[in-house]
Amino acid sequence: MLEKKLSTGTGITFRKIEPYLYLAPATILVVLVFLYPIVDIIRTSLLQNNPDGIKTFGFTNYRLVFEDPVFWQALGNNGKLLLSVPILTVLSLLIAILLFEHVRGWLVYRGIIFMPYVLAVPVVGVTFGYLLGLNGIFNTLLRSAGLAFLAQNWLGSVKWVLPSISVVIIYREMGFGVVLFLARLMSLEKEILEAAAIDGANFWQKHFYVTLPQLSGVIEFFVVVELITMLSWVFAYVFVMTGGGPGFASTVMEFYIWKHAFAFRSPGIASALAVVLLMVTTLLIVLQLRLRRRSLEEGA
Amino acid sequence: MSAKSFRVISIAVILVMLFTACGKTTPATGSTKEKVNLTFWYWAESDAPGADAWMTESVEAYKQVNPNVTINVVPQSTDTLISAFQSAVTAKSGPDIASQWATGPVLGFVWQDALVPISDYVSADEIKNWLNTNENTYNGKVWGASMYLIGIEIMYNKAMFAQAGVTPPASGRWTWDEFITACEKLKTAGITPFIAGDKDGYGGAWWFAHVGMQGLDSTDDLRQAIIGNKDFTDPHYTGWYSSLDEMVKKGYFNEDVMSLDLSQGAQAFSQGQGAMSWGTDGMIKQALTDLGADKVGVMRTPQLGAGKLADTGNATQSITFFLTKWSAHPQEAADFLVYLHTADRLTSWYQHTGVIAADARFDRNLVTDPVLKQMVEWETTGPQIWLENFLPGQLDSDADLTAGQMIFSQSGTPADAAALWQRSAETWRNQHPDELTNWKNWQQ
Repeated sequence: MLEKKLSTGTGITFRKIEPYLYLAPATILVVLVFLYPIVDIIRTSLLQNNPDGIKTFGFTNYRLVFEDPVFWQALGNNGKLLLSVPILTVLSLLIAILLFEHVRGWLVYRGIIFMPYVLAVPVVGVTFGYLLGLNGIFNTLLRSAGLAFLAQNWLGSVKWVLPSISVVIIYREMGFGVVLFLARLMSLEKEILEAAAIDGANFWQKHFYVTLPQLSGVIEFFVVVELITMLSWVFAYVFVMTGGGPGFASTVMEFYIWKHAFAFRSPGIASALAVVLLMVTTLLIVLQLRLRRRSLEEGA
Repeated sequence: MSAKSFRVISIAVILVMLFTACGKTTPATGSTKEKVNLTFWYWAESDAPGADAWMTESVEAYKQVNPNVTINVVPQSTDTLISAFQSAVTAKSGPDIASQWATGPVLGFVWQDALVPISDYVSADEIKNWLNTNENTYNGKVWGASMYLIGIEIMYNKAMFAQAGVTPPASGRWTWDEFITACEKLKTAGITPFIAGDKDGYGGAWWFAHVGMQGLDSTDDLRQAIIGNKDFTDPHYTGWYSSLDEMVKKGYFNEDVMSLDLSQGAQAFSQGQGAMSWGTDGMIKQALTDLGADKVGVMRTPQLGAGKLADTGNATQSITFFLTKWSAHPQEAADFLVYLHTADRLTSWYQHTGVIAADARFDRNLVTDPVLKQMVEWETTGPQIWLENFLPGQLDSDADLTAGQMIFSQSGTPADAAALWQRSAETWRNQHPDELTNWKNWQQ
């Protein structure tokens, strides 16, 4: 009998406990893998150094982080990388729609576009490090095409280093976006698109008014994923291609956290930086989700 | 044998076995020595290609003479050398012997109470043969063993000098004005005067270690600015950036200096793309092979500064091998490091790597090339300081490397570079009050 009493004294029934038992393994895993590190990072961020070597609790690490100009520059650099998310999204959408229209050889193109996403980031970074050198292949091609005036020190100049890294990130992440959008496009009901065509909608009208609204869910997912990527998954690109330089021109939050944690022996500062990054990321995602909810409510 | 005799002998044997089993373990000798397993976190290959093969050979050779000692060598990556050992220090568990770059990094771990002084386990008679022990001497103790010496000087292309009508310095060293004159002549002849790489920041850091040092009177002079008693914006410390800036502005460096790493800059010299470049013994050896033994010469860094360190050499042991506090076998670990300094191992080291051993007993006759002989002479004569070793890691990264990039990329002025040094030092002092205390107490 399901209603079998576990304890007549407390009145707790097996049915009441049963869901928690099923949830317990996953809950324990989540607590161990996610919650514990977060709690420990917050605890470490509050441990401040003192001249006598004894650590005490306080908010000094946060104050020092906010006083550090490199922190603001790193945060600003992450902000600049966020600007590549709309470019990445639009490009991925355009290419996915073109492939969806079954241009000749679209299967081959899909494979080629997805391939960079399969490559490890360090491989992509090292390759582009060579390609984008002042005397690298890219500039050599520009010079041989009579476009020497366009040749730049892409990774070695303060002005160009972040845009160059953005292009490399877009190049790799686009494969993910295209495949994601294409998968959703292929699941759309063809009748709606055919009806739009019969009603006289041209290519752009058809996709802008019919296709895009149906992709809104997957676009939102992609944008959120890429926002997180630009804030907290670009370490490998920066580490391999520029090492945060020249100067601090390409130093991003993750890289600065890594330097404090492992090169500068300051786990307290690194943890405070990590907590700030976590808060910024969470804030952006919550904001984005709220905007999405509001647009859905207005649409309804 | 009668039954009675058999019983008596049996009882005697059992009693002996019992006494042996219950008795206190005495220090083992010969084949009955206690088995010792040592773990060695080892780094040297990046500095001296061939070092890993030499270590493998040395471990096997040591096993032949000390069969009870097993040494497990774990090669370390450059990028994680500090962080991996820092994790071990936090966990108070890890290797018996480890490697760190000399001075700042080593002493940083000394101050975390993670090391035992090697001078407590090795006789003074032995240690007196090890070169550059001053790099890791603190509170009267030597904290690690040097293995090799790396010196860095300017290598030049003789053919390019001749083409531009430049005469190498007869004394082995130019004044700064003579150097600039030579650069101008080379540039006029269509030759890149100085080829370098600073994408990783180390090109600029090497200018600091050479030219920046010349204005100082001692390493303590630098320490005063680090701990805040002096100001880095004082030209005494950072005035030399104006000279470097002038060189960049006049086009004396390769245009792609910010696209190349330090080692790529040296490779470009070996490919004949520039007239001068920084070179370690290994880089110079490579250039001699690539360009021809009669095509490469060496000179000391031109003299710009007039401090007491202006004539000081820059050879460093680079990496230091040391004993960890948690090791259960510090004596055996020290014995192995002493073994690495035996004549046979020193000779083998040079044969494997082409880098000279940091030991007075090293046979200098093994070095036959006159250019490399000259390097050895400079590296072992007079006091030697690699100034970068005397910076806290954070200051080295955020000021030394970054300020150089600022000048090479022309994204800042010499005044900006000086301000960056001062600001970074203040940040470091604020963020590391515990380290600051150690630096204040460090009598150099």
